[in-house]
Amino acid sequence: MAAHGAAERQGLSNPMLGFILFLSSEVMFFGGLFAAYFIARADAVSWPPEELLTPQQIADGVKLELEILLPAIATGILVLSSLTMQWAVWQIQKGNQAGLLWGLFISLALGLIFLTAQMYDYSQLHFRADDTIFGTTFYTLTGFHGAHVAGGALFMFVVLVRSLGGQFTAKNHEAVEACSMYWHFVDVVWIALFTILYIIQ
Amino acid sequence: MASVAIPQLSGYRRPAVLDWIMTVDHKKLGILYLYFTLFFFAVGGILALLVRTQLSVADSTFVGNDAYNQIFTMHASAMLFLFIIPVWAGFGNYFVPLQIGAADMAFPRINALSFWLLPPAGILMFSGFLVDGGSANAGWTAYSPLAQQAGVGMDMWIVAVFMLGASSTIGAANFLVTMFRMRAPGMTMFRMPIFCWTMLVTALLQLLATPVLAAALAMLFIDRNYGGSFFDPNGGGNVVLWQNVFWFYSHPAVYIMILPGMGIVSEILPVFSRKPLFGYKAFVFATIAIGALGFSVWAHHMFTTGSVLLPFFGFMTFMIGIPTGVKIFNWLGTLWGGSISFTTPMLFALGFVSMFLIGGINGTFSAAVPVDFALHDTYFVVAHIHYVLFGGSVFAVFAGLYYWFPKIWGRMLDERLGRLHFTFMFIGFNLAFFPMHMLGLDGMPRRIAVYSEDAGWETLNMISTLGAFTIAVSMIPFLIAVVWAFMRPQDQPDNPWEGNTLEWATSSPPPEHNFDSLPPVRSERPLFDARQNGDGH
Amino acid sequence: MRRVLLRRGSRLVAVATAASLLALAALGSASAAIQPGGITDEARKMHDLFIIVLIFALVVFALVGGALVYALIRYRRRDDELPPQFHGGTRIEVLMVGIPAIITIALFVISMITLVDIDDDADPDDLTIEVTGFQFSWQFAYNLNDLGLNSDPNAEGTLAIIGTPSAEPVLVMPVDEAVEFVLVSNDVIHSFYVRDFLYKLDLIPGRQNDFTVTARETGDYRAQCAELCGLNHSLMRFTLRVVERAEFDAWIAEQAAKQRGDDAPLSVQAP
Repeated sequence: MAAHGAAERQGLSNPMLGFILFLSSEVMFFGGLFAAYFIARADAVSWPPEELLTPQQIADGVKLELEILLPAIATGILVLSSLTMQWAVWQIQKGNQAGLLWGLFISLALGLIFLTAQMYDYSQLHFRADDTIFGTTFYTLTGFHGAHVAGGALFMFVVLVRSLGGQFTAKNHEAVEACSMYWHFVDVVWIALFTILYIIQ
Repeated sequence: MASVAIPQLSGYRRPAVLDWIMTVDHKKLGILYLYFTLFFFAVGGILALLVRTQLSVADSTFVGNDAYNQIFTMHASAMLFLFIIPVWAGFGNYFVPLQIGAADMAFPRINALSFWLLPPAGILMFSGFLVDGGSANAGWTAYSPLAQQAGVGMDMWIVAVFMLGASSTIGAANFLVTMFRMRAPGMTMFRMPIFCWTMLVTALLQLLATPVLAAALAMLFIDRNYGGSFFDPNGGGNVVLWQNVFWFYSHPAVYIMILPGMGIVSEILPVFSRKPLFGYKAFVFATIAIGALGFSVWAHHMFTTGSVLLPFFGFMTFMIGIPTGVKIFNWLGTLWGGSISFTTPMLFALGFVSMFLIGGINGTFSAAVPVDFALHDTYFVVAHIHYVLFGGSVFAVFAGLYYWFPKIWGRMLDERLGRLHFTFMFIGFNLAFFPMHMLGLDGMPRRIAVYSEDAGWETLNMISTLGAFTIAVSMIPFLIAVVWAFMRPQDQPDNPWEGNTLEWATSSPPPEHNFDSLPPVRSERPLFDARQNGDGH
Repeated sequence: MRRVLLRRGSRLVAVATAASLLALAALGSASAAIQPGGITDEARKMHDLFIIVLIFALVVFALVGGALVYALIRYRRRDDELPPQFHGGTRIEVLMVGIPAIITIALFVISMITLVDIDDDADPDDLTIEVTGFQFSWQFAYNLNDLGLNSDPNAEGTLAIIGTPSAEPVLVMPVDEAVEFVLVSNDVIHSFYVRDFLYKLDLIPGRQNDFTVTARETGDYRAQCAELCGLNHSLMRFTLRVVERAEFDAWIAEQAAKQRGDDAPLSVQAP
């Protein structure tokens, strides 16, 4: 009889393996979006493609500009939240419940701050998704990323509530590991996004 | 292996309807997948008959141009997204755990989620017919900028396909973990049944390619509804970008549509030739090669856009012919020197081999880039598509149905009706699709609602339409056989076909926990080995 | 009794199947006559390639199909004895990979040779016809100082032939000269497909595609949009008319005469 050998197995459990496979599909999703961005930039005469703005758009005050300071700070916050999340994982691996709780709480707070900073940044921009391919790709990429951060924050919240209920131990904390892995993934995607959208101008 | 005593709840039994809605059992979910997909096969088939009726005569006014565009779009969408891709999930759900000797899939509840995404998606997609502007009408390929012109039915199509993609992707993760982690003791990867191998590579393709379609659909939705410029040159976008992102998924998708069918045929041919699959390892490597190469050929759908590196994609397209050729030899080698019985599953499997041979050969024409310049977007390609998808995949579906029906339902399907089904379907299929080679060579383009009399295409089109209706008629003996079977008692033995793989080592149908005990697994044919050692089965 | 019935029925099916396969093979050979030979230099080369591929295809089909039918007849079950259980063989498996590899590589190389052969670049002096596709017909524009032979560099103006779905336009071009087609679209993707060119090329918004051919036979040839472009895609047809140079010049002169004294491009419904 084939056994569900998760409990006896060393290394990746079935759910963790499944989760990693799921993450690889998420990588391919962002890959598709990034590919569209690269192709748009490769095709473009200039970047940002100011020459594509219609007189109406210019009259409406559309400016294809990105300011880097706030997003850079947000990047730092997100990276920090990844570090605190990893720290939380290390804590529960040692059986430290308090450490787990603090780590989760701080990571979640930082994640929410990141989202708030993103939304504020959106409000300060002078272009929308329908303002040339520059606007379309910017909002699509950062928007889907933000949605994934929100999803990750929800995951984190559920894990936090379960931790408050004492559901995790040193030997049994798979959901925390999965949440952490997802959060790192979201962080790495952001670093790629930040580099490509903001730094390589 | 010790048997595990399963505690039974005494007294309460769920009402049957609730049982089916709430089930997480892979066998019930497999059956649900089969019902769902075969229903949409019928829907897609009716849409095909409408297409063929319209095209049977020149200057036809059977349906108007707008209706025609919706009909063929939904024909393809139903057949591809609601039938052929999920039907393998149906067979796979039922038989992968059984064939590897497991009690269920790795993630039963996620398995249920995978299935239950399908009905709302199907309803949503077809509800397009009820809205202003009708359903999606830009072909299942939804090329930009035409796709931007369609009404809200197109948006419903986009969301529906997205949901179907999600079902596919999470299902894929489930199959992969199940096959990597839950095989019976002794079943190394190279002792896994060949059907499982094809499901494995298919799952990898689904996992990695489908998300790219999701990205493409998101971009199309944004262009259509939020003024995006992904595909709008006025905003700096690129029209051909859609084709690149779409085909990056949709080419691997065609291997998703055929590989499990090849797996089923590779199960059936050895059983009814009474010898093993010839070159099992070569077949496995060929399957993996097709999966990998499948990611490198997408732009062969775009040879006439003027924006493709023709030599590279021409080369890779020819390359994929090599592992495909290997498989034909695997099957020939299995038959050669065997002891062949022409049961209904075997007939359909042989139909698959011969029709897929033609489909592979006519694909070679399109692989030769300068020849494709003439053939692209003509009925020659429609012939190719249907030889591989119908002559290939659909024949494999029926092969699987006839082969595994006794295991699932404990009754056999009548052999005489099965032979009638096969004969009419084989003849009807060739009548329907072979003339399309000539029509394409004579310049008949695809996706035209009407053609004029002076084109000289009427005779061949009429033959094709007769063939299509013959296919429809061939379904009658099949349906009668199914109904008749359900009227009989569930009295079939464990292994009516003398099959070799583990699903035949349990009752027909299997108990909920699948196996009470397993024979030792020392090769890819554990039951054959058991028989040789005198152990029943 | 059941087994006898099985055998009789299956024999019938086997015969029907074999007959169908043979019929297919016959029809397949007949299709050699069905691809038009092509009216341009480039088309004739592409047709030659088609014939080569067809020969390969028929040979492979005959050999593999024949082996299949043979095996089904020769090795059908006669008794309960298990046949020899061979799993494979290294030598055969090498052939199994090698033979398809040789065939596919050979076909690839031949197809690439043809591809290079038909890639004719236009001379700046050659006649250029700008084709604009729109939903649901065509516009063919001739620059009056860029008409190939006999061009008058001082001529001014553009001659435009615009069609409608109910009045399909005629694209007139001279025989025995290289003619460049420039393809553009302002709305959706269309495809310029002339059956007797054995060729098509897409008209893509935001992109300019072009190709050059030299026609060798005069006459009228059917042509049609070959990329789904919406409601009246099936009506987006035109006629390609290949004429002698003298007749082409006369036609141009006749159209341009209507334009004399007026700078704007002249739109003329096709005769």
